[in-house]
Amino acid sequence: MAASSEEVLLVVKKVRQKKQDGTLYLMAERIAWGPEGKDRFTVSHLYADIRCQKISPDGKAKIQLQLVLHTGESTTFHFANENSALRDRDAAKDLLQQLLPKFKKKANKELEEKNRMLQEDPVLFQLYKDLVVSQVISAEEFWANRLSMNSVNHSTSNNKQEVGISAAFLADIRPQTDGCNGLRYNLTSDIIESIFRTYPAVKQKYAENVPHNLTEKEFWTRFFQSHYFHRDRISTGLQDLFSECAKQDEKGLKSMVGQGVKNPLVDLQSLEDKALDEVNLAGTDTIPLYKTRVFGYGTAATPSTSNSNRTVKENSNSAIIKRFNHHSAMVLAAGLRKQDPLNDQASETSSTDGNSRDSDLFQPPIKKVKLQEAIEYEDLQQEDGLKTVSLNLKKSDRYSHGPVPIQTQHYTTSQDIINSVILVQHEMANYKPCLTQVMSSTMASSAIVALSPGGVLMQAGTQQAINRGYLSLSLHPKMVPSEVQSELKHLYTAAGELLRHFWSCFPVNTPFLEEKVVKMRSNLERFQLTKLHPFQEKVQRQYFSTNLTGHLEEMLQTAYNKFHAWQTRRMMRKT
Amino acid sequence: MKLNIEGLLVYFPYDYIYPEQYSYMQELKRTLDAKGHGVLEMPSGTGKTISLLSLIVAYQRAYPLEVTKLIYCSRTVPEIEKVVEELRKLMEFYAKETGETNKLLALALSSRKNLCVHPEVSSLRFGKEVDGKCHSLTASYIRAQRHSNPSQPICHFFEEFDALGRQVPIPPGIYNLDDLKAFGRRKGWCPYYLARYSILHANIVVYSYHYLLDPKIADLVSKELAKKSVVVFDEAHNIDNVCIDSMSVNLTRRTLDRSQANVETLQNTIQRIKEIDAAKLKEEYRRLVEGLKEANVARETDIYLSNPVLPDEILQEAVPGSIRTAEHFVGFMKRLLEYLKSRLRIQHVVQESSPQFLKDIYEKVCIDRKPLRFCAERLRSLLRTLEITDIADFSPITLISHFATLVSTYSKGFTIIIEPFEDKTPTIANPVLHFSCMDPSIAIKPVFERFQSVIITSGTLSPLDIYPRILDFRPVTMSSFTMTLARTCLCPLIVGRGNDQVAISSKFETREDFAVIRNYGNLLLELSGIVPDGIVAFFTSYIYMENIVASWYEQGILENIQRNKLIFIETPDAAETSMALEKYQEACENGRGAILLSVARGKVSEGIDFVHHYGRAVIMFGVPYVYTQSRILKARLEYLRDQFQIRENDFLTFDAMRHAAQCVGRAIRGKTDYGLMIFADKRYARADKRGKLPRWIQEHISDGSLNLTIDETVQLSKHFLRQMAQPFRREDQLGLSLLTLDQLQSEETLQRIAQIAQQV
Repeated sequence: MAASSEEVLLVVKKVRQKKQDGTLYLMAERIAWGPEGKDRFTVSHLYADIRCQKISPDGKAKIQLQLVLHTGESTTFHFANENSALRDRDAAKDLLQQLLPKFKKKANKELEEKNRMLQEDPVLFQLYKDLVVSQVISAEEFWANRLSMNSVNHSTSNNKQEVGISAAFLADIRPQTDGCNGLRYNLTSDIIESIFRTYPAVKQKYAENVPHNLTEKEFWTRFFQSHYFHRDRISTGLQDLFSECAKQDEKGLKSMVGQGVKNPLVDLQSLEDKALDEVNLAGTDTIPLYKTRVFGYGTAATPSTSNSNRTVKENSNSAIIKRFNHHSAMVLAAGLRKQDPLNDQASETSSTDGNSRDSDLFQPPIKKVKLQEAIEYEDLQQEDGLKTVSLNLKKSDRYSHGPVPIQTQHYTTSQDIINSVILVQHEMANYKPCLTQVMSSTMASSAIVALSPGGVLMQAGTQQAINRGYLSLSLHPKMVPSEVQSELKHLYTAAGELLRHFWSCFPVNTPFLEEKVVKMRSNLERFQLTKLHPFQEKVQRQYFSTNLTGHLEEMLQTAYNKFHAWQTRRMMRKT
Repeated sequence: MKLNIEGLLVYFPYDYIYPEQYSYMQELKRTLDAKGHGVLEMPSGTGKTISLLSLIVAYQRAYPLEVTKLIYCSRTVPEIEKVVEELRKLMEFYAKETGETNKLLALALSSRKNLCVHPEVSSLRFGKEVDGKCHSLTASYIRAQRHSNPSQPICHFFEEFDALGRQVPIPPGIYNLDDLKAFGRRKGWCPYYLARYSILHANIVVYSYHYLLDPKIADLVSKELAKKSVVVFDEAHNIDNVCIDSMSVNLTRRTLDRSQANVETLQNTIQRIKEIDAAKLKEEYRRLVEGLKEANVARETDIYLSNPVLPDEILQEAVPGSIRTAEHFVGFMKRLLEYLKSRLRIQHVVQESSPQFLKDIYEKVCIDRKPLRFCAERLRSLLRTLEITDIADFSPITLISHFATLVSTYSKGFTIIIEPFEDKTPTIANPVLHFSCMDPSIAIKPVFERFQSVIITSGTLSPLDIYPRILDFRPVTMSSFTMTLARTCLCPLIVGRGNDQVAISSKFETREDFAVIRNYGNLLLELSGIVPDGIVAFFTSYIYMENIVASWYEQGILENIQRNKLIFIETPDAAETSMALEKYQEACENGRGAILLSVARGKVSEGIDFVHHYGRAVIMFGVPYVYTQSRILKARLEYLRDQFQIRENDFLTFDAMRHAAQCVGRAIRGKTDYGLMIFADKRYARADKRGKLPRWIQEHISDGSLNLTIDETVQLSKHFLRQMAQPFRREDQLGLSLLTLDQLQSEETLQRIAQIAQQV
């Protein structure tokens, strides 16, 4: 069952599974294992199905790799090659480590997207039920070109909410003692991503050093040893890889502080109006430097208390506090970063404006709003008007201009129509039959056939056909009960969907499309067999007078004809 | 709505009113009628400001001759701006109802930093720099020099104002700081000097306490304000400390060193001027003999605020001859500096009174009391004569001169403490001379004497009777108002024990106890799991917070808390804390939730509100006593005991409780808001502590919530929060805690309102 097209990324021999020797294959989209001497895989997992991998601790005799699936099942591989078991295992592990996150994200995202689409669109849901649940086509086929179609649409319109970072992600890395005076940290890709997102400085270090200077493991070992991770430790050595990160953070913190706060109500610096530095109107001055706070923090903590006075412990305490503030700010920022390209722009422009000499020209709006908020008493006020929901427009110009015909120039104005009618009337009035040039009756009727739906000239456009189908329903609604009508509608949409798939394969110019067109044809046949025929029979049993499915069959037949034509052409080319 | 408050028509700019607002206005009216002072405590977040403004503006309109001006003092710049905005709302309502245009002039005044529009000066970051730069552009001799030397830079805004601004008064209206700036820009006038000039004829002035309480500033700014003014001190629970601060001086060795440099500069300048322009110094000498006499004439008309630095009786005399010439004065200052330096070279703590100090200085360096008293005045005059431009550089020597004047003027109510080192670091010499005022009534006395009505109000003034005692005045009304509630939107809980039954307390003996710290951590951890959005926690001091945070970090408690919420911590650095605060609000805003660890008595606890989701729970870890080992505090306690018969313990508890109440009160604004108030110390359960909380908090402490364990607290909190999360509509409140005009007219309601105010 090994598909030849799959790219094999890694082959590891002498891997045991359930006490059977075999070979482990890591391929582009799945991992598989087959017992020795046999040409098939007994174990095969798509990467998307794997939740995580676990490895046996370093010191253990058995070198194993365990895969845990989303379903909760797990598979354990035992690397049994005496010489290179560890290396094999690590190679497999590293590769998996790279591959898994890609699929994981994709799987989750896709699943979510599909779910959302089905929920939002009842027609699609019905279609899904008709085609996939009843196993006319497989789910993949169903989604194949739908997702790509929609993802473009939606990624622009729906700003998906980013998942934030848990503030405690560092705490979640619980070190475990390994029994011999060491600590072990378990890192998952989630944690690593959190670290990178929160501390860009570390990410940069990682990019600089891994893999050419350090292995990944060394990098993280150093990370956990550094004072950087242990916030209470005071920076000691310069050789520390992360001392630079710490400095960078310090700088970041400083710049954050330097930017000041946007909300003037929380700006502690401008809070106090100590106008003690008063200068006389006439020009004589008293500028005392009264800084007493008799009942301040402790007693009049003078700002001159230099750092040298502080003990090491106090220093480390204040370092912890600084780090916590910084950490929280970074976590918050990491959560918000993606979200507001718009806000960023706004703030950027305002900040550039703000930098222009007269900063307070631009300050009032936000200040005014905050002040108004602060003095408002919602329960004392009469409510003014209902709260309205804001309108979220995809294309605001269409809202303001109304639907505009796309090809105005092809439309005829009413004046044109009237003119032409007049013209025709005029012609008719002056009509003189010219009996010598009359068409024969057979030719006339064939022309009419060609012009009616399904005819040679009207083949294109299933859309029109569907319309006609609906039309035929609406023509005799009295004669057909509503449940049959709705069933017919479903059949139409399902057939339309299948035919769309089918026709989208033409022109068939790749092997993939070839394969697909064959599959689609069988799908159509299956549809006819499992869906259309029972319906036909049912209808015939009850209302033999009308042929409701005639048009559907016609459409299918056209498709078969096309397929047949294509196939014969292909056979001819091959021979 | 239009209200009838005992015969006075009051426009109130809302459609509904809280009963306590009505009651508050009644009390206020009575105070104004009696032309006396009042102490009013009204729960925070029940619309105190708008009630005050509505009533006083109405009073002003009804009796324009009785009350000519409202002087509204608040603490912080944002608060000042809020008051002006509320006033604007009120005046808009007036305009709408009466149809006439507003004839009132109301304005806010703040320091140059907040008002300057000069492109270069306003870009400076610190207030002192702005003041210094402004002075260097606007001082009289600079402007005089400009006549001879046109390249001398001056401030055009000030010149324009000086030329035109005083002739036509600023048109009536409401001017907030930004409005003043906009007006100044439009006219090309300096908004700061415009505001300072305009407060003289404005109907309503809103500014900071210091403009009235600090004698050095009050003398410049508020000197000529009319006697028939109503003065309001809002958020006045700390007013005694403001008074004390404004009269106290701290001198360090650094101050002295820098003063030394100042004196050198002065000497050199004098030398130079003597060579060039000896006439100038002569002129100064002549003026000193006459100059102060002129000032004396102006002072006799009694309408001026008496300046405690220069009491009236000295002004009968001219500057004593010993310091009249510039060289003599510089020599005098040198001697004074040397003496102070020698006093700072000590190994042990010294505490003495002003007379002792004066006696010692006379014996050691033969400096008399009299020239000392003139020190500040003489230095000012010298600096002006020497045409010093960068005045900010001379602040150390100015500080010394103020110290000299103060110490020689007051023999009572002050103490001098010289500490050779800080208590925490006995090995590092860092001598400080504290000249500290112990009697807040000294600074505020002129205010009470001069203005006909002074209203002291805040959300937390309990126990009310202590304020008249320490500020030494006799109020005509003293009232505390409760909060009428349709649902109990505040939930004070006293946590006394951990789940392990260990009593929790920040008491000195147990504060470092491992179990206490752990229990505090568990309390915060548990609450972080159940309280939505923001939690604010206050510690008793910064050092204590640092220690606790460190040990929580070691125990891994903080990590667990981080699972629930982000953590932000106050630091001694204001800019850093501002950033943390903003991030904290951001985290509350976007639904992540956050915890702010902060310090009682810190900047955050005094200036920032945590309304609605910014503070769903406030935790007070421990009782925020002052650092009782401080010698300054001890001296003050002694003074209080001797002078006002206030027992030390009473004062300490009072001080601690007002700060605790202040902290927890920050979380409530309006009756739609709600919040937990958690007092985590078993000492809060005692009657003497509990009894000193404001009535509106006390009422809601039931006997069942006195000595809770952490688990019980969590249960009660959960229950409370679940209840509060239910929709709360106006109909639920109407008639109970919210009144319409119709309801106000019923006899029954009025009777109920009468019970809200509790006279003391």
